Amino acid sequence: MKVTSQVWIYFILIFGVCFKENSAKWVWNCTEPDYACERTFTIEQTSTLYSSVELCRLVCGSDGIIWPLPYSYSVIDKSLVTVNISTAWFNTKASDEPTYTFLEDLITYFTNTSSYIDFCTKQTYTVQINLEAKSSSLVLNWDTDESYELVTYTDDQTNQVTINITAETVFGVRHGLESLLQLIVPDDLCYVMLKSVQIKDKPFYKHRGLLLDSGRNYLSVDIIKKNIIAMASSKMNVLHWHLSDSQSFPFVSSREPNMSRYGAYSDREVYNPTDVADLIKFAKIRGVRIIPEIDGPAHVGSGWQWSAESGLGNLVVCQNQQPYRSYCIQPPCGQLNPANPWIYEVLRNIYNDITDLWEGIDAFHMGGDEVYIPCWNSSEEILQYIGTKNRSEEVFLNLWAEFQSKATQAFDTAKGNNGTSLIVWTSSLTDPAIIENNLPKDRYVIQTWVPSTNTVPQELIDLGYKIIVSTKDKWYLDHGFWGSTSYYTWRQVYDNQILSGDAVLGGEICMWGELVNDNNVEPRVWPRAAAAAERLWSNPQTSSETADGRFFIHYDRLNKRGIRTSAVIPKFCAQNVNDCAGYLTF
Amino acid sequence: MLLRGCKIMKQGEVRRALMVATVICLFLFIYLYWQQSSRPLQALVLTYKHVYTSNKKIHPRQWTWLCVNQRCERHHITENVKIESLSTCSMLCGSTQLWPQPTGPVTLGSKAIIFNHQQFSLQVLASGPAKALVKEAFSAFNDSVLSLVRNNNYLKEKTDFDRFIVRVTVVRGDVIRLKLRTDESYSLTLKPRDSEIVANITAKTYFGARHGLETLSQLIWWDEYAGHAGALKIIKGATIQDAPAFPYRGLMVDTARNFMSIESLKRVLVGMAANKLNVFHWHITDSQSFPLVLPSVPQLSSSGSYSPQETYSPEEVKAIVEFARIRGIRTILEIDVPAHAGNGWTWGQREGLGDLAVCVNERPWSLYCGEPPCGQLNPENPNVYDVLEKIYRDLLELTGETEIFHLGGDEVNLECWAQHMQKSNTPNNYTDLHDLWGEFTLKALARLQQANGGEKIPKVIVWSSKLSKRPYITKYLDRNTTIVQSWGSSQWPDTPDLLADDYKILISHVDAWYLDCGFGRWRETGEAACDPYRPWQTVYNHRPWQQMRLDKKHIIGGEVCLWSEQVDESSLDSRLWPRAAAFAERIWTDPQLDMTTYTIQEDVYTRLNTQRERLVSRGLKAEALWPSWCSQNPGMCL
Repeated sequence: MKVTSQVWIYFILIFGVCFKENSAKWVWNCTEPDYACERTFTIEQTSTLYSSVELCRLVCGSDGIIWPLPYSYSVIDKSLVTVNISTAWFNTKASDEPTYTFLEDLITYFTNTSSYIDFCTKQTYTVQINLEAKSSSLVLNWDTDESYELVTYTDDQTNQVTINITAETVFGVRHGLESLLQLIVPDDLCYVMLKSVQIKDKPFYKHRGLLLDSGRNYLSVDIIKKNIIAMASSKMNVLHWHLSDSQSFPFVSSREPNMSRYGAYSDREVYNPTDVADLIKFAKIRGVRIIPEIDGPAHVGSGWQWSAESGLGNLVVCQNQQPYRSYCIQPPCGQLNPANPWIYEVLRNIYNDITDLWEGIDAFHMGGDEVYIPCWNSSEEILQYIGTKNRSEEVFLNLWAEFQSKATQAFDTAKGNNGTSLIVWTSSLTDPAIIENNLPKDRYVIQTWVPSTNTVPQELIDLGYKIIVSTKDKWYLDHGFWGSTSYYTWRQVYDNQILSGDAVLGGEICMWGELVNDNNVEPRVWPRAAAAAERLWSNPQTSSETADGRFFIHYDRLNKRGIRTSAVIPKFCAQNVNDCAGYLTF
Repeated sequence: MLLRGCKIMKQGEVRRALMVATVICLFLFIYLYWQQSSRPLQALVLTYKHVYTSNKKIHPRQWTWLCVNQRCERHHITENVKIESLSTCSMLCGSTQLWPQPTGPVTLGSKAIIFNHQQFSLQVLASGPAKALVKEAFSAFNDSVLSLVRNNNYLKEKTDFDRFIVRVTVVRGDVIRLKLRTDESYSLTLKPRDSEIVANITAKTYFGARHGLETLSQLIWWDEYAGHAGALKIIKGATIQDAPAFPYRGLMVDTARNFMSIESLKRVLVGMAANKLNVFHWHITDSQSFPLVLPSVPQLSSSGSYSPQETYSPEEVKAIVEFARIRGIRTILEIDVPAHAGNGWTWGQREGLGDLAVCVNERPWSLYCGEPPCGQLNPENPNVYDVLEKIYRDLLELTGETEIFHLGGDEVNLECWAQHMQKSNTPNNYTDLHDLWGEFTLKALARLQQANGGEKIPKVIVWSSKLSKRPYITKYLDRNTTIVQSWGSSQWPDTPDLLADDYKILISHVDAWYLDCGFGRWRETGEAACDPYRPWQTVYNHRPWQQMRLDKKHIIGGEVCLWSEQVDESSLDSRLWPRAAAFAERIWTDPQLDMTTYTIQEDVYTRLNTQRERLVSRGLKAEALWPSWCSQNPGMCL
């Protein structure tokens, strides 16, 4: 099947080239002094008419077409040069063997992503790409230096384009290659680039994340990979993997195999250790770190039902209890049973599988949100365990804090040290008034999920906590499809300025999974997550309107890389940005 | 190099090149021929793709379902428990899994039997041209059944019967075009007889018979727990009688704001057929782009499409029309006029025809139209009507649809015309420009009649607008031939007013049946026209004739609309499905609405969930209804 379609493509291409008639078509023209790309219908071919809006944007104006916007981008020579990129030469400079191997892998990534088919009939320049990573560190975490410098220059004597990408780490080099990919633009059957540019680039925030939820609906490994590809294209660096929830437990734990046996939707809808290892590797070469989350003590249920039969008592209380509205926020109910010490044994085993797969894990997400006190309050076993007649909220919060500290111990035992940063969601336990009693600030990072007007993030910073921001009324991509929530457009996502400073590690855009699965997760996340990517990488002081043209090009780029990206405008507006602008800007 | 190569080739080289091309073609034909002969196998391979790629089963299957109090309960598999898959449990427990629910009596057996698709044998009792259509419909039916198969080893499984006879009887074999009065009813019986199982489908027309086959396909499911490799099952015994509540059950897709490929439109039609929707309203052009290649006026698409690739050739349109007809769907092409026309209409001056359209891409757009870019036909240029007649002739030829025509006719911006007259010093003889609009409409209709060989098209649909209001409506729109597609909010007086004036209407209320809504504003100014999103419950619970006590007699049906400003091929399926399926049951079955609580019965959730999975099997990327947990635990998420 594949072979035939390829034959056809070549056939049509050859045919097309031979019998191409000169007819009028859309071309773009860079207007002065406003640097807009205007579409015109003509058969003319001059050097100031560009065959695509992308090419016109590359030349026109000062922002270029790289997404997210680089820290500093200057065009030294804006004339175009036709390059033969499929035969580019690579030169790598690394301080040791593993770094060298990583760079080699990056080159493979580069050539696979570009996958240029060359049918160019023009005179082309050869391309020399020099990559240098100064440090030998291959660790991707909040301390990684992701900056890079990219310089290109063209020698018209030797017909050669030289590209130098230098960075402290391989991850910086990767970002440089990503920018380079975006600088090479198709022009009919050829590829062109600017003769000389200079880029100095570094991210504004260290943590630029996307949350995917495979607890509510299973997401296949392929679909997760597609999201990672789109993240890499937008220089996002953290995939926060909400692995399990009360609905399902698809993670296959070698030490506790019952978890997925009882928790997965089916024997196929699981992530076994090889899947996970494969994903971690796939992500790393794309500059993305996967941070797993095993949520607890709430948002559990499926997967824990086996305990009574196995003689461990009830590990979970109020499981699947009905009417669910009395015991949890969304069906099915379930919360870990802190009166049963076995939960820490089981947790330790699960954590141990996590630490095996995520070698040297720097950060782990423990969830910790939405504990529903009426659930614990309905369990005789827990009430006995508390052993007091006072059933105030405080008593239950203390119980929760006790769980949190014992779960942390279990994690540290599993890992063998206490060097892993632990992330938890904001909750009543992280209330600025009491958080210091419960969570040591050198150990915990708090992920805030409150609306943009809420002061909790600032209060936590003032107390000395590090935070990750997930603005609930801007960056919750599931909103707009249930209850009274509303949908956030890419502009709202983009214009969401979050707090800054050393205490703010960054932000995360969240795709909760109740109403998405393999079929619709991509168009729901993309291109909106890319808007957040620029907020987090560049933190522009300008609004989304300034980014229009570049954003539509990036939308197209994601589509070309195989991401099923949702349209945000009629294509006419991407081809004629100014025609769709509002009258206020005139 | 290639380009130059072609030009300087010598004669002998050309011959050699042609030789090589011929050989390649020959191989291709052989390959395609070979593929054709092994078609069922290929379908199997295709459907097999639906299975998750991460197919390494790490542990044995773990769930079984038991039917308790008309509801399937999920249990962990233990030694003493009967093992039954969710699909088998839900097919045999409680409600039917049919969608849309038939309107006539339904009795279903309580047992299932195993068969395989190679046992199908079709007997057609019909005379005339319908016979060939039934065969086509059966082939589509066969595809639907095959799409369920998850394992190509299933043919090795033992079956309960030797043969599966599908006997289709069509009384009026001459009816091969769907009309508003076409009888779409059917009856279906399914009985075992000796070593055979016999499905009898009887219908007045082909279109009823097709629906019968669709229903039959919904009695079939895949049981992944059966045998070693899973098996196809069907309910042992059924009688069903069914007929739609409304004759017009439409779905509109806009391919002008963003282009959709032919392949993606075929998926729309597959989904429509599965839900017994019968009108594909193709809003094929708008002011943004003109992707339709018209043989008589090729200038429209050559200057109006986004790119030469983003066009529909006449052959492609005809293929869609035929693909639809086989699935019981008629295609209505809409070229909206006089507004919503701009790009594509700008070649008039160049060819000496004057301005065919005015205010095209005018800035600031917000003064001359509802969304960018602006553009309206120039009603004072007589050449416009000549072009329209050519267009109409082509459209009638492409679809063969001569009962209903969609004129468009919405959102005319009179300011645009007024401004143009002023600029071009055209004397304005109108005290009220609505009359200009009305006269345009009459002229366009006259040209439509011309294009149809002088014969009047019986029904012309126009979008509701100022012109479909008093006083203009009675002046310009004939109540015997006009159908007004009422798209305003159901709270507005439009619909009752039209009915009071005795006009036939088609309902597409924006507050319930606009599936594009809910994705925020996409233009910098202009209000967010239609937020919020309409969940499937809103779509389903819209029953204006009950809520507003309207006379059903003048309502020909309803249509869900998907405008494509914020949709393209990537999200087309998930925007439409399963919400358009919810609409389909409203318009086919029209169940009573509980107007005090607006509660939707549990059975609807369960059946819609099954229908959604059916659509996914057939290759549509339907949206999730809820976490899978809710599918596996029926009734627990309500």
